[in-house]
Amino acid sequence: MAVVVSLCVGRFSVSAGRALEILGSAIVNPGRTIEAMDERIVLLVRAPRVIISAMAGAALATAGVALQGVFRNPLVSPEVLGISQGAAFGGALAITLGIWGVPLLAIVFLSGFSAPVFVGLLARIDGRTEIITVILSGMVVGSLFSAMVSLLQFIADPNSSLPAIVYWLMGSFATATWDRVLVSVPGLMIGIGLLWALRFRLNVLSLDDAEARSLGANPDRERWLVFALVALIVGCQVAVSGIVGWVGLVIPHAARLIVGYDHRRLLPATAILGAAFMVTIDTLARTITAAEIPPGVLTAIVGAPVFALLLRRHFRDKEAR
Amino acid sequence: MASGVIALSGTDKTLVGLNPLSLTAIREGILGKIFPDAANISDAVTGTDFVPNVEALAEVNPDLVIQWGGRGPEIVDPIVNAGLTTLLIKYGTEELTRQYTTMVATAIGKPERITELVEWRDQVQKDIEAKLAGIAEEDRPSVLYLGRSLSDITAAGNKGSYNAWYIELTGGRNAAAELDGSLSINREQIAQWDPEVILLNSFEPGLDVSWVYDDPILSLTKAAQNRRVYKMPLGGYRWDPPNQESPLTWMWLAELLHPDVFDYDLRAEMTKAYKVLYNYELTDEDIDGIIWTAQQGDGFGYDQFAAE
Repeated sequence: MAVVVSLCVGRFSVSAGRALEILGSAIVNPGRTIEAMDERIVLLVRAPRVIISAMAGAALATAGVALQGVFRNPLVSPEVLGISQGAAFGGALAITLGIWGVPLLAIVFLSGFSAPVFVGLLARIDGRTEIITVILSGMVVGSLFSAMVSLLQFIADPNSSLPAIVYWLMGSFATATWDRVLVSVPGLMIGIGLLWALRFRLNVLSLDDAEARSLGANPDRERWLVFALVALIVGCQVAVSGIVGWVGLVIPHAARLIVGYDHRRLLPATAILGAAFMVTIDTLARTITAAEIPPGVLTAIVGAPVFALLLRRHFRDKEAR
Repeated sequence: MASGVIALSGTDKTLVGLNPLSLTAIREGILGKIFPDAANISDAVTGTDFVPNVEALAEVNPDLVIQWGGRGPEIVDPIVNAGLTTLLIKYGTEELTRQYTTMVATAIGKPERITELVEWRDQVQKDIEAKLAGIAEEDRPSVLYLGRSLSDITAAGNKGSYNAWYIELTGGRNAAAELDGSLSINREQIAQWDPEVILLNSFEPGLDVSWVYDDPILSLTKAAQNRRVYKMPLGGYRWDPPNQESPLTWMWLAELLHPDVFDYDLRAEMTKAYKVLYNYELTDEDIDGIIWTAQQGDGFGYDQFAAE
């Protein structure tokens, strides 16, 4: 629904009927050449943008659910583990070095993946990993990567790479093209698909480690698999649209309110909700004003207050126990 | 401002430190050719954000430091506290540009340059205004100035924009007038405005008009269809912001927007101006380099700038 609406609205006026007609004829006859401006706007600007934002929303929210399950903590998200900051550093480094396209994606992915590795190494004390040490380690790693991003911004050329880094860090789907769809969507789909395949494991991992082991799981190994998939998702998303925060934190909670805690139902519900949320945010970002509002800003405006509420509830529940 | 000081003093020897951005403009543009030694002036005295490095400033020990006065005390106080004589200038409008040019000319002991440089601005502006006096609103083409293109697309609204000001001056309408300042926009918004002329900035080294002509959306705008896409020239400084060469910017743009109204001989005007500004004889090759003839010589109206 959000996807259809998003295809029909924008700064350039294309009537909803015309937009659907363009889309229809593109599906019926994909090889035809597109000439008119409204066709190009719908097929070359809006369609890839809607696809990327929907996939990014779905993948980020799924990643959030998986991490929250693995850590048995509702306050965890890719940002908390430093993955986004790590990916941001990789991206900023690539832009500073003048690297774009698939190599940029690779750097973003590797750098994003290094964050949970560092967190894992830091947080593992006497063979055990406490939730609180993971979160604190995540802050440490995240801050370190943020500082390195700042350093790169400081030395970047203010006429070329600096604005590119700043803009990219704010997060935007404005640069969506079909090429970028090809770069990001396969990785996002693999991430979502494999997390979906792990849905039973996620249920088991939500128990404490002793129970999980007694059910035949290897919690440590499976946690790493989840980290890798989350890093893949965040890497693919950050590479094409910059940092878009809060989706992975807030959407899982909304989905839990609707379908409950079982990951078999929670994962698809989160993915759908995440996609709808992200497409809606991006549609607002590109249509409210003539200027583009960075969607990362809008998700933060929605996400931060929700996070504050969750935090309060989390500690109140803990005290009540 | 660094290139402005060179123009006012007529030499690069007055200048002992400058902003790193000024240095890149000198290296990329023609000023580095006219004053080869200028490329060795220290750019350690300030960050690109104009935050002074007081120790580096003390090292070059200037008689006068020129700093932006409208960007807060943080970038001014360290210089003053170091005991250096500081001249604060305010940026933005043509009037302010004339004011600070006058101030700097006086401060560096070249008051005679005020007449040549400031009055020239006044003369050209009045001449353009007089020629456009009777022009109807519908004869003013809509012009879109893009301050950034490659990583992010930004357009300049009317508020506080020197670009918007000279678009109006030269008989255009700012296509992005509804924006409040210089803001990020998307291709769809450009399609919606459908400007008749697109101006690209001269700040991004990798940018040229093919960026518009090769884009599936932008290539369908009126500007692209009529081949009225131009990258701002890069002379002694970039022609986008106010500087010592601004009257040349206006003449260039006026000719492009209203070739039937204006008959400036841009090449002759440039040659004359560069003689006055830098005591340098421009070659035809220099001029073609400054106005990007190789990249956009086939644009609408560019034939009038061709060498004879």
